[in-house]
Amino acid sequence: MTQDERTPQDAAARLDARLRELPLEVAPGRDLWPDIAARIDERAAAVAPAASRPAWLWQAVAAVVLVAGSSLLTASLLDRNRPVQQSAVPAAPVNGMPAPEAAVMPAAFGPAGHLDPEYLAARTQLTQMLDRRMATMPPAARAKLEFNLGEMRRAADEINAALAEQPGDPLLEELLLKTYQDELAVLSNVSQLTNSLENAPVNTPANVPASPAGKRMQL
Amino acid sequence: MAHAGEVVDELQRAREAAEERRLVTSAADGSAAAFEQLYRRHSARIHALCLRMTGNVATAEDCTQEAFVQAWRNLPRFETRSAFGTWLHRIAVNAVLQQVRRRSESLGAGDSIEREVADVLADHATVDPGRSRDLEAAIAGLPPGARHVLVLVGVYGHSHEEASQLLGIAVGTCKAQLHRARALLGARLGGNGEEP
Repeated sequence: MTQDERTPQDAAARLDARLRELPLEVAPGRDLWPDIAARIDERAAAVAPAASRPAWLWQAVAAVVLVAGSSLLTASLLDRNRPVQQSAVPAAPVNGMPAPEAAVMPAAFGPAGHLDPEYLAARTQLTQMLDRRMATMPPAARAKLEFNLGEMRRAADEINAALAEQPGDPLLEELLLKTYQDELAVLSNVSQLTNSLENAPVNTPANVPASPAGKRMQL
Repeated sequence: MAHAGEVVDELQRAREAAEERRLVTSAADGSAAAFEQLYRRHSARIHALCLRMTGNVATAEDCTQEAFVQAWRNLPRFETRSAFGTWLHRIAVNAVLQQVRRRSESLGAGDSIEREVADVLADHATVDPGRSRDLEAAIAGLPPGARHVLVLVGVYGHSHEEASQLLGIAVGTCKAQLHRARALLGARLGGNGEEP
């Protein structure tokens, strides 16, 4: 068979074979370990004074605010895209779990400096509900929410890491609370939204729920 | 019945896996020395992944570094039931995606950058470096979405389900991007590029 007579399947198979021959290991042009070691040493270094908090912390906080806003906007757009199914009827229990509204509560630190167990339980519950309902969301919105929630959790991890180095720092604790509250607001709004879409028996314009931003203020 | 050579290889793999578990446990307990050994073991593989996904030498180094820093931070949460290399691979993909979102305008753009990446990758090719260089340059020149899917599915052998999960996209999108990547590579490489 000549080259012209080869089928597209042949071409794809040859390309795949060539891709599989490519080297899977390519060492960096320079040793990256010293830079990595410096960054991980920073975390182990002595507690820094509050005035010299790293720039990334503020970036993390800014990111959380942006990301929370972005996710709420996504939820709002989802809401707007499906007006026929909207309802303000309180969400019914799903799979034996209470409606998310009942689970929403402010984040708070307990006496040992850890998050309130009730808050953690509510967060876990909302996360599980969201995970189940993600499957019903449009792929683009789902991807954006997943990414944004990931960003918020990453920021919370970084603030937690800073708190581990500076235990009891009031500013850090406040920032962490704000981060968790934002995350909870997103979880709550998306869970409520998808719950109402799944369970709403009635629709009237008057029943359109308050905007996500409005609900967020309840936290 | 297994040959003696296979048994020896199997034992060697088991020894290496046990050693890696020991290093991971030590690193999770705060040993930077153990983590450095993990870096030495995995950096080439992670760097190759980052190079191909970013199509940019400098960004690939940043992503490799970021992946290891993130791994260090998250090691206490790593569950040793899964392979450390697989976990690290996932972290590296996330590091690349974050970089791409931040610097999309500057990644994989321009022939000189594609050539630079292709040269670095082709230097490690075991089969026909000249042809590998053309293929690597063509991969580096793909649009980011198509490139990411091609690298994960075509080069690293992920299923579409795995790749779509890693990239945060739908399986259908993943398949469409692979189709697009193959078409673009075919067009760029032409008859010469497709010859085995």
